[in-house]
Amino acid sequence: MSTTQMMKGILDGCLLAIIKDTEVYGYELAEKLEDYGFHSFSEGTIYPLLMRMQKEELVTSTLKKSTAGPRRKYYSLTEKGESELQHFMERWQTLQASVNRVLSDETK
Amino acid sequence: MNTNRIVLSKKSKRFLEDLRIYLFSSGKNADEIEDIVEELQVHLIEAERDGKSIDNIVGQSPKAYMDQISDEMLTDYQEWFTYIVIIVFGSFGFIIMNDLFQGSVSYSLLEIIGYLSIATVFIICVFQAFKYIAAHNLSKIVEYVIFYVLGLLPISLYIGLIFLNEVIETPVIHLEMLGMIITAILTLALLLAISYWAKTWAMLIILALLILPDTVLHSFHISETLHLLLGTSISFVGIAIYLVIHSKLSRAHS
Repeated sequence: MSTTQMMKGILDGCLLAIIKDTEVYGYELAEKLEDYGFHSFSEGTIYPLLMRMQKEELVTSTLKKSTAGPRRKYYSLTEKGESELQHFMERWQTLQASVNRVLSDETK
Repeated sequence: MNTNRIVLSKKSKRFLEDLRIYLFSSGKNADEIEDIVEELQVHLIEAERDGKSIDNIVGQSPKAYMDQISDEMLTDYQEWFTYIVIIVFGSFGFIIMNDLFQGSVSYSLLEIIGYLSIATVFIICVFQAFKYIAAHNLSKIVEYVIFYVLGLLPISLYIGLIFLNEVIETPVIHLEMLGMIITAILTLALLLAISYWAKTWAMLIILALLILPDTVLHSFHISETLHLLLGTSISFVGIAIYLVIHSKLSRAHS
């Protein structure tokens, strides 16, 4: 697994987590990710990910009119998406714990 | 509301157009293309309003980004195939109609196969060229060279076909009166169907402008040179006027 693939997997999980609570559209998602500290990625990266997640039925989308111009596409989580988020959280906890153990033991 | 459209920078507009062309020439579904282009347009508008440049969004390589999007979309060659069939038969219809009005309809087998394959080869090359131009930041000169070569391609292939047709003998299909009438009806029906499908009468109007002046001039007794000169001038001036009116109308419409 290359670093970009690993990064994509992590971004997938974060996107699912953000979408979980509220309906959001693309630009909002990118902004939130940046607010959380993801600065190094280009914002457009989220769209291919969203497209795949939609194909895999993890998210659904609806178009809504906005006061400020063209229609926005809002995403929300499906049931399948919620369980995928659970899996991601478990995987992440394990990974995080392992990495932390390695770092604290080996870099004393 | 309109201000939002104007706000989008030239570079972003260009990117969206390029993306549309790139995906289309990669054989992607038209509705899906509109979907992602619209979504990115919304993103770019809001990002530019917050003072971000398109480089923050697309990254260093537009081509790589277009590929990422393209990879997530199903390739829909059926739609592509429809376009090819329509363009090939549409242009063939043009040739047949023209010949019908000239009063001579006979094609050798080689000509028929040749016409169809030249049109197919040309369309595939056009799609590939558009895809290439959309994905690479080329200078205007390089773009013109590509279009120039592209324009020369069918002409040189046709000339090649004409010579080949002289050298190689293949069975000739010659249409008598009845055959011509049937062909005319079928071809006209085809052209009408295509026009209806494309929701534009442009093709039929241009066809009429190409054919009718010549036919009408036949009934006047003028020298061949004058005939040729007048015929082509009326055709091309007519088409030019039509195009100007058409673009004014469609601009007023939007």
